[in-house]
Amino acid sequence: MKSFFDGILSVPASDPDDSRRRRVLNILLLGTFAATLVGLAGILIAGALSQVSDADFRLLLSGILGTTFGILGIYYINRRYSGRWAAMLFLLLLTAVFSISDTPEQLSNGRALFIFTLPIAISSLILAPQSGFLFAFISSGIVAGLALSIDQPVNIFAIIGYFMLALVSWISANSLESALRELRTINTNLDSVVVERTEALAASLERERIEAGRNRAILNSIADGVIVFDRKWNAILANPAVKGMLEIPTELIVGKNFREIIEHPRLAPQSRGLLYAMVEHDTQPIGFRVEWGGKTLSVSAAQVYNTRNENIGIVIVFRDVTREAEVEKLKSTFVGIVSHELRTPLNAILGYAEMFKEAVYGPMNEKQVNMADRIMKNSHRLLGLISDLLDQAQMEAGKLTIQMAPLRPSELLDNLHSVLDKSASDKGLKLTSEIEDNVPDTLNGDARRLHQILTNLVNNAIKFTDQGSVRVRLFLSGGSQWGIEVTDTGRGIPASEIPYIFETFRQVEGTATRVHGGFGLGLSIVKQLVTLMNGEIKVNSTMDEGTTFIIILPMLPVDKLESNWRYP
Amino acid sequence: MSELALVIEDDEDLANIFAEALRGVGFSLEIAPDGRLARERLKGADVPFIILLDMHLPHVSGEELLADIKQDERFSKTMVIITTADARLGEMYRDQVDFALIKPISFIQLRDLTARLKPGR
Repeated sequence: MKSFFDGILSVPASDPDDSRRRRVLNILLLGTFAATLVGLAGILIAGALSQVSDADFRLLLSGILGTTFGILGIYYINRRYSGRWAAMLFLLLLTAVFSISDTPEQLSNGRALFIFTLPIAISSLILAPQSGFLFAFISSGIVAGLALSIDQPVNIFAIIGYFMLALVSWISANSLESALRELRTINTNLDSVVVERTEALAASLERERIEAGRNRAILNSIADGVIVFDRKWNAILANPAVKGMLEIPTELIVGKNFREIIEHPRLAPQSRGLLYAMVEHDTQPIGFRVEWGGKTLSVSAAQVYNTRNENIGIVIVFRDVTREAEVEKLKSTFVGIVSHELRTPLNAILGYAEMFKEAVYGPMNEKQVNMADRIMKNSHRLLGLISDLLDQAQMEAGKLTIQMAPLRPSELLDNLHSVLDKSASDKGLKLTSEIEDNVPDTLNGDARRLHQILTNLVNNAIKFTDQGSVRVRLFLSGGSQWGIEVTDTGRGIPASEIPYIFETFRQVEGTATRVHGGFGLGLSIVKQLVTLMNGEIKVNSTMDEGTTFIIILPMLPVDKLESNWRYP
Repeated sequence: MSELALVIEDDEDLANIFAEALRGVGFSLEIAPDGRLARERLKGADVPFIILLDMHLPHVSGEELLADIKQDERFSKTMVIITTADARLGEMYRDQVDFALIKPISFIQLRDLTARLKPGR
């Protein structure tokens, strides 16, 4: 029913104002058409009952039929051609019908005066806001003409009323139209915003889809095995490379807890322990190695944060380093053998030189003893270099471990003096040492490696100091740390070189101008040893005034040693 | 008669130097240049007062020889000094032997050490 009326009332107009006016006109036409049908029925009944004269009946019938056909014609024009013309015709028809609808007396000065207000009010709705004035003028003309035709005074108040009504209609139709225009503008803006937003959303979804696809492609094609876990260590994502590394199909990994995954029988027990420790202590190691099947894998873990900086899980990356591990092992074996093979003949040279010096096979003159001394000294130098190379190789292979045991700080310094007092005094330097009062008599540490660190630093200090002294001090730092300080009055290290002095094979002098021998391994080894001991090393230096190396080490209670505690 | 010292060392020069150091202190000397010969020698009647044992030997390793020595009651009073270039190995066996010397081993150091160990001096 609704669609039937919609069909009757609809007009083919693109301009919204035109469309609205023509639609209202159609409603009025429909109403008028219904009214004329009722009127027609009434006239026919009255005629049948002989209530009106034949002449009146004919006049009324032709009037009503004319009106009816007029309305249909206007409807046709409104639907097919022009709303404006249709409205004009409708209003004129209405006015014409009204002007013969009563006696001239009633129309010009009586009860029917009001009837002319209808076309005035309607015209502002269906023709144009200002058209009320036109119909006020037409109505005024009709009323005045009728009054004059029967010699009656013209009703000025009615005419003023018509124009007042036209004014009010004009104002209200105008404000209605402007309100509608505003509404349309708002709607249009809203529409464009919606379109804009929709396009932006679509573009961002597309970008996200492309990015996700790209990330997925990268993840699928990299050689590293990647597993993403949620905060409870349940696997939520694994890439295909994982399968080759862990010998578990990717689809079997997703959903599993990390603890289940590392129950894999091909994982070496010691490696399993390391991975368990990583989960239990929630650490994020970088590149520690595990043995899985026949492979050596490097494992790195990192927390994953979303854009709001919330921790959403952890990502673990496995890298197959089997080949590297083999090469390192070979290298370390090779260096080990080479070092052993170099040391043995050197030991023999040293031994024979000592035998000369000690006159095992008969008395020697002073020059011969001196020569034996020089042989010994140079052999020791060579031995030192070989030891450094061996240490470096062991550290690179991760094989150098720190062996903790109780040690006496005083013994550490005694040993240092016994080794280096002579070198210092040979250069005319004073080597002094002190232990601060609050340093305990027994500390925990690797005596051999601490001795190595001390002799390295003091040896360097002696090497680069021409006059003055080298001072060693042991002290406590805070409640849980102790430290070693080696200060010299030497030439100092240029500030630009300080960042590099702990690098392997680095010496402050360039190769062409080297005065001091050595591989430049000493400080690098010291730094690595200190790091292995969980300590840190700092250096302060002023040119031509001297250099101070400070090592800070964690202090572990001596009684804890029983639990077989080791540095990691 | 002077006490017997057995030097088990495959490097001829080192064996020579160690022997000279021990001889200088007054030990009588025997040298075993590899693990197999050392094992044979350990079965002999003469029980050494002191054994200088290199841990890296051809055929039979120092570790195996040390195990032999530890198991044999006859060597319960024998001083065992191991020599090795590997400091970690030295640390590992330090508790099982009288001394663990890390190569390079100084002639003077060895002479002075064994002099202290020799009875009646």
